Amino acid sequence: MLPGAGRPGGSPPPFDPLDSPVRSVTVKPVSLNGARVRLDLTILIPHLGFLAEGALLTAEVCALALVGSVLLGMLVAIARTSSNKWIGRLAFAYVDLFRNVPFIVQLFFFYYGLPEIGIYIDAFTTGVVALSISGGAYASDAIRAGILAIDNGILEAAEVSGLSKRVTFTRIVLPIALRTSVRPLGSVLINMILTSSILSTITLNELTGQAKIVASDTFRPFEVYVVLLVVYAALTYLVSIGISLLHRRLNRDLVEQVS
Amino acid sequence: MIKVENVKKAFGPVTVLDGVNLVVNPGEVVSILGSSGSGKSTLIRCINGLEKLNAGRITVDDFDVSKPKDLAEARKRSGTVFQLFNLYPHMTALQNITLAPVEVLKRPRAEAEAEGRALLASVGLGDRADAYSSQLSGGQRQRVGICRALAMKPRYLLLDEVTSALDPEMTAEVLDILAKLAAGGTTMVFVTHEIEFARQISSRIVFLEKGKLLVDLPTAEFFAETGGLAQPRVAQFLSKMRKD
Amino acid sequence: MRYAEFTPFDLVLLAQGLGVTVGLFLATTLIGLFLGALWGVIRFYRTPVLTQFITFVAEILKNSPVLVQLFLVFFGFPAFFKLNMTPVNAAVITLSLNTAAFVYVIAVSSIESIGRDQVEAARVFGLTRWQVLRHVIAPQALAFSIGPLTALLVNQLQVTSLISVIGVMDLAKIGANLNLRTLQPFIVWTVVGVLYYLAAKLVATLGARLEKRLRAHSAFRGL
Repeated sequence: MLPGAGRPGGSPPPFDPLDSPVRSVTVKPVSLNGARVRLDLTILIPHLGFLAEGALLTAEVCALALVGSVLLGMLVAIARTSSNKWIGRLAFAYVDLFRNVPFIVQLFFFYYGLPEIGIYIDAFTTGVVALSISGGAYASDAIRAGILAIDNGILEAAEVSGLSKRVTFTRIVLPIALRTSVRPLGSVLINMILTSSILSTITLNELTGQAKIVASDTFRPFEVYVVLLVVYAALTYLVSIGISLLHRRLNRDLVEQVS
Repeated sequence: MIKVENVKKAFGPVTVLDGVNLVVNPGEVVSILGSSGSGKSTLIRCINGLEKLNAGRITVDDFDVSKPKDLAEARKRSGTVFQLFNLYPHMTALQNITLAPVEVLKRPRAEAEAEGRALLASVGLGDRADAYSSQLSGGQRQRVGICRALAMKPRYLLLDEVTSALDPEMTAEVLDILAKLAAGGTTMVFVTHEIEFARQISSRIVFLEKGKLLVDLPTAEFFAETGGLAQPRVAQFLSKMRKD
Repeated sequence: MRYAEFTPFDLVLLAQGLGVTVGLFLATTLIGLFLGALWGVIRFYRTPVLTQFITFVAEILKNSPVLVQLFLVFFGFPAFFKLNMTPVNAAVITLSLNTAAFVYVIAVSSIESIGRDQVEAARVFGLTRWQVLRHVIAPQALAFSIGPLTALLVNQLQVTSLISVIGVMDLAKIGANLNLRTLQPFIVWTVVGVLYYLAAKLVATLGARLEKRLRAHSAFRGL
């Protein structure tokens, strides 16, 4: 088998359509469940801790990948606004490529490919790297838009006062661009949270991965996945509220009118 | 000394400056008058290196703004105040003022801040040091803009229609400060529509028309019937501006 | 360890996988467009309860992972409703509903972009709500929404790759099988990636062309 952490308990390899939940459907003795007609969510209570562990892992992966994609996004946005034609083209190729190839293909490319060239990293790291690279493509667009939206007069003011390109960029361009792109970057984060569920296919037991285990252990995939949908929706809703608050806070000084 | 020699500047097919010559000596206040599109602002933008010349030469204290290695020195000697203020929106008034002294002149932060506060106090904004641009009125923003230029201790102050975006009351606030600076001996190149004010503070007045420098006279002569007013275009311009 | 070279037949497999991907994409796009537009019309008529319900469902579908939606339909539905569910059926149901949710959102925002005053003006002339929708709103909303719809479909094309996880033999699944057989991940995933990339570019190009044509059309009528 290929390297990569197996699920505890020697379960089947990743990306197997006959993964345990399938068996929960096909093997399940129907007679035992025949009486069940309504949604009974109490069966999930004993598994809440287990699911919470998964949610925590999702949060960790997304937090790290967010940092990764914003850093990458900044570099790529700089490259794309660069006056060097080839750097700009290279940066555009990266964005174009990673926005037009499905994430699962990118993920498998890294997960199965990296060991081939002697890079052995675990599923967690692979997940963070893949999400960062994919998210970076979107983040760079958000940041680039923020850079391009900066009033040219502000840059001229910096230029004539003798500020170097580096100082102008780090002290003026980036801070303004990052503030104005809080909302689009928030969308990148929300997308990332949803996309991180795909990491369950490379044996990373984040929220979706844990839920798969619960579904197969309890033979209640319907209840588990209904709750999971609502949990993800609630999670992204909370994140979007947080982003709105952050946006308002960071841009307070930019919009507040004369008192 | 700012020396503009036979400068030509065109944007595509439109010639904006057509062989302009001008000398500004230390201690002078030179006002540049002319109707919109006459090239006044472009001339300022050529002096501080924001526009590249098509022909001719501009030197600031013998530093040629067209030469990349001279440009930094030339820019250190001149400070620019913009029509639309162009304050850094994410920084407070004080941070706007201290950024360049700390980063370019490598002044210690504490010193730069003390000077910045003193500058703000001198323009009546001593209590607004921590306000952001969006929290200031237009007149206040422009006063911060002037402080930001002065903080670099420039030998020449370039003012590009600095009151055009302001209402009369705010215009008065800003002109008041410029009058004080002029009285204090600051060398200024002043692109403006404020004819009466230009008359009060300028030592010399220059009139641009369609990219050509038509008149360059000491203030008193410029407004004399036998001087500037003898030029029909100048007389026409002045009477039109006074009517508006 | 099993190890097998690539064979010419792998090209056939890839073509089949691409066919399944494109076929399911087209089918679910059509169903999704129809459903999403229908939901938009229901909202336009301000149908009580139903509108709120649709909005709620659309929000859940938009804000949860498609993979989890697939698991719910493929594993959850058979268990709860005691029905048979093939991977392809699950894929069609999930992707159609997911596309519909996003189409609904685009429909709502493009209808709203047209502005209440136009609608009210038309109503004053005695047009029925349906006539307003048909003659005033639909043509404008369509022209307005082609851009967002194209972006959506480029995205949904990539989302189809997730159905490989429940065993549909689409392009990604063929890739996974080839990967396991040949142990040449770089080659396999590069080829699969390129095929997805080209398909996405095709969708984007067609969308842009359609938008250009529609815009020219509506601009002409505007005169």
